[in-house]
Amino acid sequence: MPSAIFSIGRSGLAAARASIELTAQNIANAANADYSRRNLTQSELVLTGSIGINAADSLGGVRSGAVQRSESALVQRQARDASSALAAAQTEFIALREAESAIETSGVFTGLVNFEAALTRLESNPLEPALRVVAVESARALAGNFGIASSTLASARSLVQGEASAEVLGVNELAAELAGINRDLVGVREGTSGRAALLDARDAALRGLAEQFAITPTFNANGTVDVALAGTPPTALVTGAAARAVSIAFDADGTLDFAVGGASFAPSGGAFAGRAAALDQLAGLQSDLDSLAASAISIANTAQASGVGLDGTPGQPLFTGTGAADIRVVLGSAAGLATAPTGSPAGSRDTGNLAGLLSALGSQTGPAARADTLLLSLSSRVSALGTRADGLGVVAASAQSELLRETGVDLDVEAANLVRLQQAFEANSRVIQVAADLFDTLLALR
Amino acid sequence: MNFISNSTGSFVNRSLAQMAELRAGIDRNRAQIATGNRIERGSDDPAAAAQLRSFARREALSNVESDNAAQLGQDLGSASTELEAVTALLQRARELAVQAASTPTGPDGRRAIGFELQQLAEELFTRANGTTLTGEPLFAGLSSGAAFTRDAGGVVSYAGTATIGAVPVAPGTAIERGLPGNQVFEFDLDGAPSSAFAVLGGLAAALSGGGADSAAAASAALAGIDAALDTSSRAQTILGTRLAWVEQVQGQQADRSIALAERRSRVGDADLTEAIARLQQSLTALEASQAAFARVSELNLFRALG
Repeated sequence: MPSAIFSIGRSGLAAARASIELTAQNIANAANADYSRRNLTQSELVLTGSIGINAADSLGGVRSGAVQRSESALVQRQARDASSALAAAQTEFIALREAESAIETSGVFTGLVNFEAALTRLESNPLEPALRVVAVESARALAGNFGIASSTLASARSLVQGEASAEVLGVNELAAELAGINRDLVGVREGTSGRAALLDARDAALRGLAEQFAITPTFNANGTVDVALAGTPPTALVTGAAARAVSIAFDADGTLDFAVGGASFAPSGGAFAGRAAALDQLAGLQSDLDSLAASAISIANTAQASGVGLDGTPGQPLFTGTGAADIRVVLGSAAGLATAPTGSPAGSRDTGNLAGLLSALGSQTGPAARADTLLLSLSSRVSALGTRADGLGVVAASAQSELLRETGVDLDVEAANLVRLQQAFEANSRVIQVAADLFDTLLALR
Repeated sequence: MNFISNSTGSFVNRSLAQMAELRAGIDRNRAQIATGNRIERGSDDPAAAAQLRSFARREALSNVESDNAAQLGQDLGSASTELEAVTALLQRARELAVQAASTPTGPDGRRAIGFELQQLAEELFTRANGTTLTGEPLFAGLSSGAAFTRDAGGVVSYAGTATIGAVPVAPGTAIERGLPGNQVFEFDLDGAPSSAFAVLGGLAAALSGGGADSAAAASAALAGIDAALDTSSRAQTILGTRLAWVEQVQGQQADRSIALAERRSRVGDADLTEAIARLQQSLTALEASQAAFARVSELNLFRALG
């Protein structure tokens, strides 16, 4: 039947054209990381009519089926989990590295060593006014270095806090977007480009969310997803078309508290877990630094109290303050440095008290040793975190490239498809030509 | 039909990551060459950084300690010079006493000797109150005032303290600043406390008085002068020993600071030859992978079909 050939050819043309359109779409989205490559399913169209036991088949050509999106739930999940873990390690690493620079470059350790050196020099000639002034000024420099360390640590903390405050808005936006996508997915028809685009948006939102929080998504048959945040306790974030709001608050020591829909919660992964861990570490560092400053204050002031100044009067406190932020030199004049022990006359060259101060400063539990320990433990932690972040980076990159291999666009394949589909289109138009020729032949019968 | 697709995006990502890694390595190498330090920050090598910190502290302290040792050496040297002069002075006093004790010297001669002895006693007093280059008294112990004072009656007494204190010159080593004046100029004579000033002053007064028994006084004073000479030469020996000790410590300090610098360099300095070789290697690798990336990205079916 010539008319059947027409419709077969026409269906073939339509299918080839639809496939070419999809290929063009794939090529156009080759650089779109959220895009999952599509292909068109096709099925044979056969019309079967039967009367009684006589059945007759009529060929109907091809039927363009559904737009299929290359799905890869497992690889998607791997990529999400890897990026959660990487984001957690990397955020913590970056924040602590900042803290490391803060404490290392503020020169607390150098300040302590210089103070110690100035006092040792004073021991050679305790009455020399210049040496006394140098000793007091090195104490002042030390106090300044403590202040710098404290303020740079505070600024590292406020950077992390600022980032957290900004990112939490993004998380809430993503959750609301997922709820909206869930709502739309319920209404959209299976096998359409619109549905595929919604699923792309869904996976992109999930990936974005996974970077900030470790998540446990539950996929439903209709493509919608319910998202729970992994942590203690696991807390639902998106259920169907409803999303709960994540909120954060900072404690007095700068540490981070989370609440989802008002219920408190602690995340187990993602950049926010890294930020929370980093802020905990920074709070610990601040208290270590404060206790270091407090010990320097108390050692110096105790030594001052047990000696006499140049004029034989009891030594007055060298430092005031309670921590790294408020340590200051209060000794009015360098003559007040109590180098001689209590009971010495004015102008005594006895350095007994100074020697006591030096041995307290230089002891294994003294401030210099403690500053060294603080720096060593911090830099070891940063180095370990760096190694972990590097390792997780490799894992995340391979998961990402696996995902791209599963869902991304291969331009070579698309080019080959283009050639093939162009040929199919030409072949189908040939079929119509043949049908027309056949029809003309019939009409030409005389 | 089943074939492995190799997404274009995945290829680009992988290539970019590899090139970024190479570039980071090059940057690290370049920083090492520029600064000469192997370690940019503590976390690059925490253990080495901790070692470097302890080296830095040790170096700062040993610089100060070697300054202290140099100053201590000067102070001990000044004290030793003063004592040398004191010994010579006491010897001259002994000669004069012997001369005064001999019969041929007449009363006038004794008076002249008495006058010279008075000058010597004056010089002794000045030398006993000698100061260091920075103006601190040499023989006053821990006190910063004059070591010896003379009252209206001309009696000289020690005003300093009995100890002199020590200066730290190396970890765990402190050397005493010198000797307190009472150990240099004071001694026991026949069971009674006496001093070089008392002996010299007493003899000078006896001779100047020109009494009949001045020759006897001169021979009696000889024992005192000998005791003073003994004390001062003993003090000089002690100072000499300490000076030698300081020099030895200074030698050790120099050796130690070289050893310290060597260890610091081994731990913290970049090996330039290696860093430059690695830089060259990384640069070659980066260039090659950039070229390879460009070549491979051109291998595209679209191009072949065009």
